[in-house]
Amino acid sequence: MGAYTSVPTWWNHSDSRYRLVCGECPECGAVSFPPSGACTDCHERVEFEEFEPEGTGTVLSVTVIEGGAPPEFASLLATEDAIAVAVVELDEGARLPAMMADCDPHAVARGDRVERVVRRIYEQEGVVRYGSKFRPVRE
Amino acid sequence: MTEVYVIGASQSDYGAFPEESYRSLFTTAYEGAVDAVDGDFDESLIEEAYVGTLGVGGRQLGLSGPAVTEHVGLHGVSCTRVENACAASGTALRQATLAVKSGVVDVALAGGFEVMTDMSGEQTRYWLGVSGETEWERMAGTTFAGVYAQMADAHMAEHGTTREQLSRVAVKNHANGAKNPHAHLGFECSLEDAMAGTPVADPLNLYDCCPTSDGASVAIVANEEVARELTESPVRVAGTGQASARVGLFQRPTLTGVPASRKAAEQAYEQAGIGPDDVDFAEVHDCFSIAELMAYEDLGFCAPGEAGSYIERGATEPDGERPVNLSGGLKSKGHPIGATGTGQTVEVFKQLRGEAGGRQVDGLETGLSHNVGGSGGAAVVTVYEGGWA
Ligand SMILES: [Zn+2]
Repeated sequence: MGAYTSVPTWWNHSDSRYRLVCGECPECGAVSFPPSGACTDCHERVEFEEFEPEGTGTVLSVTVIEGGAPPEFASLLATEDAIAVAVVELDEGARLPAMMADCDPHAVARGDRVERVVRRIYEQEGVVRYGSKFRPVRE
Repeated sequence: MTEVYVIGASQSDYGAFPEESYRSLFTTAYEGAVDAVDGDFDESLIEEAYVGTLGVGGRQLGLSGPAVTEHVGLHGVSCTRVENACAASGTALRQATLAVKSGVVDVALAGGFEVMTDMSGEQTRYWLGVSGETEWERMAGTTFAGVYAQMADAHMAEHGTTREQLSRVAVKNHANGAKNPHAHLGFECSLEDAMAGTPVADPLNLYDCCPTSDGASVAIVANEEVARELTESPVRVAGTGQASARVGLFQRPTLTGVPASRKAAEQAYEQAGIGPDDVDFAEVHDCFSIAELMAYEDLGFCAPGEAGSYIERGATEPDGERPVNLSGGLKSKGHPIGATGTGQTVEVFKQLRGEAGGRQVDGLETGLSHNVGGSGGAAVVTVYEGGWA
């Protein structure tokens, strides 16, 4: 059992799942993620200028989940003991929720530079869902 | 337009009650609300009902409103189930108030219920996440505590809010809840205990989080004509405000506040013709410690960023300038999701009428309740005043 995001729904945004495709608002210039619905800044319904960002950004805030994970992430939490989950602001301006990978979850902090990587997110109804996670930028 | 009064309000105990059902809990709250009406109340006066529930566990997910109103004998009334996550019954109260204010009905019921403690851990964790933004926020691993933890992390970084200031919310609300016979977690806790709780979602620990509870609550509202016949100690709904915002935290302009709360508060204050300085006491939505601190700021009780020092100087203690969560709040009284909003009304109703027993604070004239859905996708603020308009 998991939060029900159907396979078609997952695939509808595959460009944003894998490549973080964002949309620039022609009215106000703000960048929305994902590029659907009204602009997150001016709330106008617009035709977004879609683009693929660099995939790098900065951690705005972060938490370390040590318990209470929903069923879809229960096995991941059991394996990892702790999961860092951040709000990341991409260098192009959009914000998105991001699970951290390839790092000590307790070492992630606000202001950290991070980059996108494609990872297995979870499995539902026998279908493994892939998408983006973030890892620290290695200097 | 008529003025609207709360003429009766009551709640069941909040807690874990395997021997109860959502219907039996609602019945307890309903009978209590009817009994709380001062005069001889004819229940057939209730023409309209709004019942809040998220539907945790599934149960009677469809038609959950009539499932409880018909059960208590409110046969044939116009009944609507209201879903606005944790703000469900705050929203129900607003709908009931508007129904009476419009003149369409003379008396309306607002209430709510939830049963949350009789499920497996897996079911519970599934349901706790259903009010987060599902497609992206939840799929990034963000739990309900996690999204508030992200707000706490940002608030601490941007405003210097401390671990100790967060824990003071738990200490205060447990001290208040210990005096409330309806409270789920009616025990006191020390600052040391609250600061050293088991980690849940850093920086939040177990003492920063409200429990999951079973419970129900009901408020009955009436127009001025009916209220004058039935009530000796009137509690007027002086202002009501409600607003929405993007469901996901990442899609909102701030991480350190709840824009829907600010907007709802502005509406409620304007309708009541008051400002935040006029609020004597409040029941605010403290699902997590950081949520109470953000509420101080969003409701205008203190300046943005100053909630930490505001609680530290005791402003919201029972003997402070503006007591907050005299009932114990969600933290200690408990959080049966759909029941929480009208449960807050119950405390305001009792305090304004001098009926709050061992936790009564004297001299209160203007109260406020603040009910938030999810991490801020919806918010309802209600202002109440004792006395006739
Ligand atoms: Zn725009």
